[in-house]
Amino acid sequence: MGIKPGENIGYVVGGGLKNNLNVRLTVPPQEVQEGSFVVIEANDVNFYGLITDLQLGNTDPRFADEHSETRLPGQLASLLHGQTLFTNLEVMPMLMLDRGPDPGSPEYPTWRAANPDDETRAKPVKTIPTHHALARSAHAGDVAQIFGDPEKKGNFVVGNTREQNHPVVLNLEKFVQRSAGIFGATGTGKSFLTRIILAGLIHHDLASLLVFDMHNEYGFDDTASDTNQKVVGLRSKFSAKVKVVGLGAGTSIRGKSADFNLQLAETDISPEDILMLTRELNLRETTPATLDALVHSFGEKHWFHEFKQLKNGAVIENEDGKKVPAPDSVAFWANQNGMNATAAEALHTKLTRLFHLNYISQNPPGNPLQDIIRFLEKGQHIILSFGNFESDLDYLLVTNLLTRKIRAAWEEKTNDFRGGKNSQSPRPLVIVVEEAHKLLNREMSAQTTFSTIAREMRKYYVTLLIIDQRPSQIYDEVMSQLGTRVSGWLGDDDDISAVLSGLAGREALRGMLSRLQPKEEVLMLGWGVPMPIPLRSRRYDQKFWEELLGKNDLSSKSNNDLIKSLGYDV
Amino acid sequence: MNQKQIGFLLRASTLGCVAGCRVALLENPQLGGMVVIQPSDDLRIYGIIYDMHIDDDGLVRQLVTTEHIKPEVIADNRNNRSVPVEISIIFCGYQQNGNLYHLLPPRPPLTLDEVYTCSDAELIEFTSAERMGYFRHILRGQDYPTAEILVSHLKQAAPAHHSQGNSTWINRAIQELIVLLRDDYPTLMNVLGALADANLTHEEV
Repeated sequence: MGIKPGENIGYVVGGGLKNNLNVRLTVPPQEVQEGSFVVIEANDVNFYGLITDLQLGNTDPRFADEHSETRLPGQLASLLHGQTLFTNLEVMPMLMLDRGPDPGSPEYPTWRAANPDDETRAKPVKTIPTHHALARSAHAGDVAQIFGDPEKKGNFVVGNTREQNHPVVLNLEKFVQRSAGIFGATGTGKSFLTRIILAGLIHHDLASLLVFDMHNEYGFDDTASDTNQKVVGLRSKFSAKVKVVGLGAGTSIRGKSADFNLQLAETDISPEDILMLTRELNLRETTPATLDALVHSFGEKHWFHEFKQLKNGAVIENEDGKKVPAPDSVAFWANQNGMNATAAEALHTKLTRLFHLNYISQNPPGNPLQDIIRFLEKGQHIILSFGNFESDLDYLLVTNLLTRKIRAAWEEKTNDFRGGKNSQSPRPLVIVVEEAHKLLNREMSAQTTFSTIAREMRKYYVTLLIIDQRPSQIYDEVMSQLGTRVSGWLGDDDDISAVLSGLAGREALRGMLSRLQPKEEVLMLGWGVPMPIPLRSRRYDQKFWEELLGKNDLSSKSNNDLIKSLGYDV
Repeated sequence: MNQKQIGFLLRASTLGCVAGCRVALLENPQLGGMVVIQPSDDLRIYGIIYDMHIDDDGLVRQLVTTEHIKPEVIADNRNNRSVPVEISIIFCGYQQNGNLYHLLPPRPPLTLDEVYTCSDAELIEFTSAERMGYFRHILRGQDYPTAEILVSHLKQAAPAHHSQGNSTWINRAIQELIVLLRDDYPTLMNVLGALADANLTHEEV
């Protein structure tokens, strides 16, 4: 059963660029599926496309209405159906490639010299094949020609085509050039897919990664919630390249100690960081003015500490026996600086949540923020685990603060490089953000550093990899900037629309996305891939690591195997 | 050639002809059967029988009114009767200078040209040529039951092909008919109904 790779499946009977191509199917409809990668050969041009629909047709509706199997002998009915009842495929043509002259012809060498690179010869489709051009299933060579050779450096196999199981690669170099997104409803395998892509990025060493690991999933080994199987952490496999940073002093992640801990200094916190928390802390409109006055009074470095030290509601009796704000009170400071005392006291009350965070201290040991930046610059990868600090407040504050610092560092390095001060370009950096809608929703995106990164930081070698289950909650402007999108099954119409925003053929892809299998099937699309393609994603298992790191990878062996390999009996 | 003469040509056009046949020779021709006429050395015209017509005469009219007709009288009337059986033939191809065409002949045969039934070899040679284009001549007819003629013809041609090891010919023939008639639902269903009745079912197909 099943069609063979490269086997003819039909011929073109109509259609166009706007309405897709219609292909009369010459094999049983059960042999092909929506989303299959097909090639239409017309003269010297190959057209590459996806099946977006299958439709039953007939030469006369009466042939379909009549249950001829009961009226005619079986073979006769079969012959009749073969000619009068048929299936049409709707094929969305995406790319076309000039095959050039016959390889045996004298013109071929000249043509080949002018067209050396197969991968870049494929161009967006601008015309259509002729009537009766043959359509066939793609073979491994076609997939490699369009998506890239799995053996080529920088090409990373993300999964396989669903019917023929041909490997489909992601060009990681291109992937990190623009921000990207991984989407899918809960339970569709986003975390596994993210681990796979992160492992590929680390292994191919094309960018540094900063992972904001809100749920402590990526650093150390974990246990899958649905299968209870062990899930290997990235730190376990890339111990020399990956540092796990725990938020707060003494934080342990899944019972293991982090490589070092991130303690924020009070001097690191700027008014911008507070304003990012407007919704979370329910701050008032007067907050910016109050913060501005605090900076003016105490300086950029010390305003947070000094404000924390002020007492809220402290009063003393004056000479007249009247209660007035104490000199070390918030109200006193407000009155002295022409601010509204009530507003200042309200802000102080709301910032109490921050004042009590034990990962913010006046003089933290060392300079972990600079350490993180230094490691990233050196090509190492940081997984920032939030440990027990899993509230939105922690996530928003730390991610924003850290990203703001990193953005400034990378901008400076890029300017140095472009200005000739530094001969080496900055190391590309990918910031991985989970629950991205919390940072990139419509209200927040105008303020956070993340939206700036999504929009502009490509020029400064920093991009985002956002992971989310509700892409519709992410601001449109940010979504439209995403180069590569990898999406698992989505049930919500708005989420599907968001993933497909800004792409051609949205309507055709919409159905494909909603009919993905809930697990292990993803649709890969966007600027970073030559054409959209549904695929069965790789499994994040022992085989994956063996294929990535080789069978001799020591970290993939059990203790017993390691002891045996040293020549000892177990 | 293993040919059997069935009569002489009475009248003809480029579309078809009518042959006259003695009653005694009526065992040979069959409805849907293929015949050949050779008006000249370089031209052989092929046709398919779509009607056989037996006329009465004065003697027959008198005989049918008598109470008992003796067998000798019936035999005499049939063997020595001067009114021929008229066999209507539609032309569906010709052979000229060794080339076979499923086209109407360039000119009609002449009166009293001999009309023969085709041998199996001739039938196979003709029906294997081209892409069964001769079906369109049969399907064009307005004054005869197309489905019946077609199926009668297939019922004779299929065993001939089958005997030569080509059991798939009938499949191709039916497929071609379906293609030609797929926009004419009533005729196609008539033809398929007739094919089913003719027992050209799975085993034969």
